[in-house]
Amino acid sequence: MIFREVEDRDLIAKARHGQVEAYNVLITRWEKRVFNYLYRLVGQREDALDLSQDVFLKAYQNLKKLEDPAKFAGWLFRIAHNEAYSLLRKNRPEGEITAELKTSEASGRLYPVELNLTVARALEKLTPDQREAVLLKVYQGFKFEEMAEILGCPISTIKSRLYTALDLLKQTLAPMDVEEA
Amino acid sequence: MSCSVVDVKAYFLGELEKRDKAQVESHLGACAECREELERLGVMRTALETLPEEEVPRRIAFVSDKVFEPRWWQAIWRSGPAMGFASAALLAAAILVHGFTRPPVTMVTERQVAAMDAAAINKHIDEEVAKRVEVIVAQQHQMFEASEKRHEERRQKDLAEFQQVMRYQNQQMNHWMVASNEQVVPRGAQ
Repeated sequence: MIFREVEDRDLIAKARHGQVEAYNVLITRWEKRVFNYLYRLVGQREDALDLSQDVFLKAYQNLKKLEDPAKFAGWLFRIAHNEAYSLLRKNRPEGEITAELKTSEASGRLYPVELNLTVARALEKLTPDQREAVLLKVYQGFKFEEMAEILGCPISTIKSRLYTALDLLKQTLAPMDVEEA
Repeated sequence: MSCSVVDVKAYFLGELEKRDKAQVESHLGACAECREELERLGVMRTALETLPEEEVPRRIAFVSDKVFEPRWWQAIWRSGPAMGFASAALLAAAILVHGFTRPPVTMVTERQVAAMDAAAINKHIDEEVAKRVEVIVAQQHQMFEASEKRHEERRQKDLAEFQQVMRYQNQQMNHWMVASNEQVVPRGAQ
């Protein structure tokens, strides 16, 4: 008998044949990452939880459309990104989505008080696009190419958003010495 | 190599190929400004990583309930491709059956029509109509003859039954006449 770790592709194959339990195992592997990504993006726990449920439901319904199971993570986060932006568009007029979030509005609900406020505030000051780039790269560890697929834009745009975000975060979280500045 | 050419952020984020990576490392050895940039990026990442991951408030799971599972025919009915295939198969079968059962029709091609003049076309139409009428008249004549035959057979049958009934009634009448004469004049009195 050969023991090996059950891979995502095994679970995906079983879920595709209607085995809900296999899909539930897949959810337990990804729910925390998806939830945290959505929570840090939309700023509310309940919204993030509702969105997470919608994401996994849509993923299950469309699992047969996933051509390459090896790209499940990027595909899942693509769904999560679309769901999050649908909510952001619903809650805010179109023009304000890419605008910078107002700190006064966001600070009360974005992150629990006990978290590192400096980091939370620094992330809040980014635009949603910049923040999402940081979330996908720094917290989720996706490559530029994967991020381009998830966000549906060119790598050059991804790099531009991310580099600007890193410069802004650097100013707050790793300021230059006063003497040097 | 100047600082503007070197992508320290891509190096920091682990996005460079081996060769580019070596070039940046070489540059970092000689450039204090880029070394400081890299150091600050590192401090920033350490700060970002202090943000703890949140636990999911409620577990997400789906339940497979047999009651709500569609039956096999519902699954087929709801399946677009299966229904499409079934419809196509049915249509193909209908066309085949129609093709084999329908009597052959004399076709006049466009080329043949173009070659005819108006008079010839009219003549052809008249001939075809006459043929068709002849067929219909013959069919109706056959139907009429068959109907006549059926009526004649029925009439003969009714007549035979009527004659049989009449014979039976005559016999009955004769019996009654004999019986009444016997009552009026007893046999012993003769």
